Amino acid sequence: MIDQNIVVIGEHFQGKLKRVTYDVLACARELERLRPATVRVVLLGDDVAGPAYEIVQVTGLDVIAMHIPGLLSYNREVYTGVLEDLLDVLKPAYICAAATTEGLDLAPALAVRLRASCVTGVERVLEVDGRVCFARTMCGGKIVAQVRPETDAAVVTVQPGSFEVTTSEDTIPGAVDIRRVDFEPRRSRSLGVTIGQAEDSGLQEADIIVSAGRGIGKRENLDLIDRLAALFPKSAVGGTRPVCDLGWLEYKKQVGLTGATVTPELYFACGISGAQQHLSGMRGAHFIVAVNSDPHAAIFNVADVCVVEDVATFLPLFIKEWEQSLPARETSTSDSDST
Amino acid sequence: MKTRRCPTKLLVCIKQVCETETSFLIDETGRWIRLEEPSAFRMNRPDEYAVEEAVRISETIADSSIEVISVGPARVSAAIRRALGMGAAHGIHIVTPEDGYLSPFVTASWIASFARNREYDLILTGVMSEDEMQGQVGSMIAELLGMPCATSTVSERLLPETGTVRVEREIEGGLRDALELRLPAVLTIQTGINEPRYPSLSKLLRANKYELETIDSRSIGDPEPPEQVIRVSYPEHTRAGLVLNGTGQEKAAHLLRILRERSLIQ
Repeated sequence: MIDQNIVVIGEHFQGKLKRVTYDVLACARELERLRPATVRVVLLGDDVAGPAYEIVQVTGLDVIAMHIPGLLSYNREVYTGVLEDLLDVLKPAYICAAATTEGLDLAPALAVRLRASCVTGVERVLEVDGRVCFARTMCGGKIVAQVRPETDAAVVTVQPGSFEVTTSEDTIPGAVDIRRVDFEPRRSRSLGVTIGQAEDSGLQEADIIVSAGRGIGKRENLDLIDRLAALFPKSAVGGTRPVCDLGWLEYKKQVGLTGATVTPELYFACGISGAQQHLSGMRGAHFIVAVNSDPHAAIFNVADVCVVEDVATFLPLFIKEWEQSLPARETSTSDSDST
Repeated sequence: MKTRRCPTKLLVCIKQVCETETSFLIDETGRWIRLEEPSAFRMNRPDEYAVEEAVRISETIADSSIEVISVGPARVSAAIRRALGMGAAHGIHIVTPEDGYLSPFVTASWIASFARNREYDLILTGVMSEDEMQGQVGSMIAELLGMPCATSTVSERLLPETGTVRVEREIEGGLRDALELRLPAVLTIQTGINEPRYPSLSKLLRANKYELETIDSRSIGDPEPPEQVIRVSYPEHTRAGLVLNGTGQEKAAHLLRILRERSLIQ
């Protein structure tokens, strides 16, 4: 029997490979472990040579680089058009992309074109009764569903950070196959990628992040978050997407897949449910404390310490307890640069 | 480019979801979830932003109308009526016999076959549903109808006179991807693009009397689900997950001790 094909769609921008491509490759490797397969990486764009040579060097895999003059960034119409033709020939059993805004844009469209199934946000690959399934979370992270493709091909998007990325020394470089394709989109036109907002949020430098979710109840309770953060040296305030959507915090404070990825010493999650979107941005924190009144909140699955309490009642107790434990003469407790 | 005929027709695809604070139980088959009774349902929040965006578009274009469509069991009509209360003119309910896993492809196929000959200029939906979080339906509708599509839309400007819509998609790293799409097109709306309004009382009262267009899902095709959910379970703990006990005060003291022992506070 001929090995099946697995295709990984690589992400890149301005001539640089995006790290998330390695997360996708790690998922493809898991699939390869279950069924003998040939894994290939496909890149599309005007400037694909750099990323292509990086992949073959680091992974030893072969890369098909679709050189599309004029395609400076991802475009759905071009990607689906070019990939449909290529994948019709390769007939891969699995097409893996990242669970990013790009992958989420592409995967369902590609699945429809290829009459394939589509599974988004894959966190684990498993075999059940001799068939390959994908585990993904839903319901704000409270439930894990095992999804089984019923089609010959499946397009999956891989949740960043879910698979262990390994690198081996002494890899024999794979081959780069550069193919020039001309493709003019007819119904869409890319107008360029721009910077949406300033990045300086203090989140990256902070040792301690106190973060707010919708579960803090109301905007006024952000005062508690600020007060708690001020007690820690080198701290910053962050939040979930819904809190930013409500206008309670600026978007630059958002932690998660579409916001910042942070790895502080302590992540203090207040009223955060723990949806995958958010966990992707903070699961690398060294120590996680979660306060939430919902005992089933998914954040408790990734927390080191779980406090099942309402944020609005617990934080004042905690702040008071802390302040009372400090020597009376101490005056600089709210000086956030003191150490 | 061909000139657009009037009026501008918008379709918003919405989903009704249960409150995420709900306890999700696993049903007897182990293949799907069961909700604790009684459960509260509401419109999927990202879809509220899509409805609001449609209302705003409609306010700037004199001759325009908004229709709202949803797929699901009888209870779903409440979400459609809320959208009518926000400003949609007509509601369509594709009625499914029961709750349970519905493949996004099946949902998209039904909506696409409904929308195919109705000449919508723009189809909007939320970026994803809060319950299943797959983010597939809008994108699939576009592909099934052969329309261009932008997902994670954070700004849009409809230009009916040129037959285009200009959009910005939110992408990672604080960047935005600007696009121009030919109409008809599909946009999936990212949360935060606007502030969804509360339904007006007068519109809600009218909506409650309004007769929705109901369509039996079995009458509009029987698409084969390309995937199955074979098992659902609760997630595993990936960390120690020490649950603090006692009164709030005791928990506060305990937490303080833990953070001191770990030198996370002085």
